[in-house]
Amino acid sequence: MRTTLAILLLASLVAVPFAGSAYVLQLGTDILTFVTLACSWNLISGYVGYISFGQVSFFGIGAYVTALLVRHTTIPWYLAVVLAGFAGGLAGLGIGAAMLRLKGIMFALGMFGLARILAVIASNWSFAGGAVGLTLPAQLTPVAVYAEMAVTALCAFAVNAFFSRSGFGLDAMSIRDDEDAAAALGVPTTRIKITAFILSAVFPAIVGGLVAWNRSFIDPVSAFDSGIDLRTIVFTLFGGIGTLWGPFLGTLALMLVSEQLWAHLPELQLALFGALIIVVVLAMPGGLVGLANRFGWLSPRAILAPPVFPDVEPPPAPMPPASREPVLEVKDLTVRFGGVVALDRVSFSVRHGETLSIIGANGAGKTTLFNAITGFVTPSSGTIAFYGTPITRLAPLELARRGIARTFQIPRLMESMSVWENVLLASRHGKQSRNAVRHAAWALRTTGLESMWLEPAEKLTPGQRRRLELARALALQPTVVLLDEVMAGMTRQEQEEVRQVIRELKSLGVAAVAGIEHVVSAIKDLSDHMVVLDFGRKIADGTPEAVLRDPVVVQAYLGEPQ
Amino acid sequence: MLALQLIVDGILLGGMYILIAQSLNLVFGVMGVVNLAHGTFITMAGLFTFWFATHTHLNPLLAIPLVFGGMLVIGAIVERLLLEPLAKTGRRAELLSLIVTFGLSYVLIQVTLFVWGSQFVSLPDFQSTWTIGGLTFSEARIVAGAFAAAISGGLYVWLNHTASGKALLATSQSQIGAATCGIDVRSMRLIAFAVGSALAATAGALLILVLPLAAQSADTLTILAFVIVAVGGLGDYKGAAVAALLLGLIQSAAGYYLGGDIESIVPYVLLILVMLVRPQGFGRVIGAR
Repeated sequence: MRTTLAILLLASLVAVPFAGSAYVLQLGTDILTFVTLACSWNLISGYVGYISFGQVSFFGIGAYVTALLVRHTTIPWYLAVVLAGFAGGLAGLGIGAAMLRLKGIMFALGMFGLARILAVIASNWSFAGGAVGLTLPAQLTPVAVYAEMAVTALCAFAVNAFFSRSGFGLDAMSIRDDEDAAAALGVPTTRIKITAFILSAVFPAIVGGLVAWNRSFIDPVSAFDSGIDLRTIVFTLFGGIGTLWGPFLGTLALMLVSEQLWAHLPELQLALFGALIIVVVLAMPGGLVGLANRFGWLSPRAILAPPVFPDVEPPPAPMPPASREPVLEVKDLTVRFGGVVALDRVSFSVRHGETLSIIGANGAGKTTLFNAITGFVTPSSGTIAFYGTPITRLAPLELARRGIARTFQIPRLMESMSVWENVLLASRHGKQSRNAVRHAAWALRTTGLESMWLEPAEKLTPGQRRRLELARALALQPTVVLLDEVMAGMTRQEQEEVRQVIRELKSLGVAAVAGIEHVVSAIKDLSDHMVVLDFGRKIADGTPEAVLRDPVVVQAYLGEPQ
Repeated sequence: MLALQLIVDGILLGGMYILIAQSLNLVFGVMGVVNLAHGTFITMAGLFTFWFATHTHLNPLLAIPLVFGGMLVIGAIVERLLLEPLAKTGRRAELLSLIVTFGLSYVLIQVTLFVWGSQFVSLPDFQSTWTIGGLTFSEARIVAGAFAAAISGGLYVWLNHTASGKALLATSQSQIGAATCGIDVRSMRLIAFAVGSALAATAGALLILVLPLAAQSADTLTILAFVIVAVGGLGDYKGAAVAALLLGLIQSAAGYYLGGDIESIVPYVLLILVMLVRPQGFGRVIGAR
């Protein structure tokens, strides 16, 4: 299916200039223009999930850079276009570094505003022709523009293919699914976002340069036309956002249909595209590719998945006891949210080879404690040390790299991915990143998920979801594992399986385990050491037997004796 | 004296902006949706008011009940057909509703262009000016600003001092919490969007007395509303009121000293600055809490 499609497309791509019709050539150029724009938009908005309403900014930057270069220098046209792409990438780096700190609607609206600001700057900049614009000498033959656009479109498509097949693409999609959880698995989210954003800026800038050539004229209105963004977005959504073939198929289908329509109803174009966006989002969110998937066509393949379940890595050797230092040491940790003190000067340590469990009623501060250790919450005061090195206030990504893995109270899986991809994502960033595939397979076998390795994560039962989170944590090859209520919502059978995994952890290269549990009976016999929290304060610390007999603990759990 | 005059103009302009922003704030607060078609609701109502006043030769303020009622119905339809189905999509709902209203804004801008053309128009009513102590007060700005401020005040009283308003506020704080207290969250979303749209329409009917409007003003008005809400802190009504006055002042000063082009991008520049410097808004900083 894919191969036939690709051969057919390449053949028609080559055939267009030989059709001998100026109309067909211009239509071909226009389609390739939007294929490129849609493929580029898909990188940042489809794969990474940062919806931009202002990628036309880079189209405009490219158009202006090309026009100014051509008017003021004697460099050849192709170099001017390449430099436009370079300028677009540079602008993408600067703009991305600032704007990608924003999330969701903020980013979308920020980019929307940026395009308008650039348009006003261009119309007030007399060197760039002001509101009147600039003319360019018509030097390029239509065939040359077509050929250049075809090359650009192929490159943009190839980058899309790279995103849909590679580990880099896996990282990008993990940001879309759950950026915080991705960081906790060691995904360098900022770097990935900015790289994807630069790529999604370079191609529009090149296209902008070529379009400026093709039209021999640019002005602020046409260079920063929000209608270009509208079309790019409609085409991508219609084809299937976040898919390899979506941007291409959507553009081709809508351009061919609409070409006929506009000849009769030109003023209705934007209104119909606007309406189409609504229909697609509400009625066919997967777009054309989503429809094709129902017939088993163009279905996504699991990224970097071997044809059969791979040989597993031998289990990692047990960690040698490094020193007599505690693995993790928390001292006077305090976390305040506004006026609420969620954690009040909590201190404890986890030693090598130890399994610590932290118990306490709802709202005692257990999850806040884990969030503070793993960098999700900034402590107000106090210190956290990992083998004696202070790690207070380090980012989740850095902590994951150093070997601190966690699970979440409500499992935060990458819902659009398969079980395999979820685990591979972690193993690629863990200490075993050089044999990530075999290590991921090991983590799946250890947690008993081997048989469902190609299932989509969203289809798992609650118990399987928790086991997948555990597998992901193991795939990082961590030194310490923090388990947040890992046994909640599991059947007895599943609980027993997980308890077995926790017992084995220390023979699997993990130096220490800390777990939050609600069900004391499920964890009592696993624990060497127990800490009890109550309203943010530590009220007991010791062996499980001693702690559970402590009258203070009994009172906190069962209330005042009558 | 010039500075004082600019301040007066800015405050009167800001009075208008309060209504533009609070209507968006209501929708965002309760639904978590930034309505990108907000500006088109304003321009459609404004242009309708222009058409109404020039054809019937009646007082344009009489159009307010019409646009309010009309947009109440349109808003309700949009919410039920386009936005309610997205409420079930969970975490993606915020972005999906943004994309849907982005599409809707294009449909409505084109409809407005088709019906009323692309000419900027403004109503010639209330053209007298009063000079008090050397300061000039435009009647139109005072009438529109006073109406807008009064309606915003009414909204505030409704939200804080009536059972139905409090139910809306409760929903904006926590949908699950509100549902547990027996509040029909689905109806709350409908009411919020319908009333928000109707208030936007009212703002449009008043705005046409003060500023020239055309179909293509819609995007700028949407961003203007969003910036005010973002500066004040999303869902913070007092913060938004202060931010609206502030923006009116900045814009009238920028318009005088830097020219109309710069005046028109003030909202966009502020949008990006605010989001980069302090995405949670300045509500607490300006002491409006």
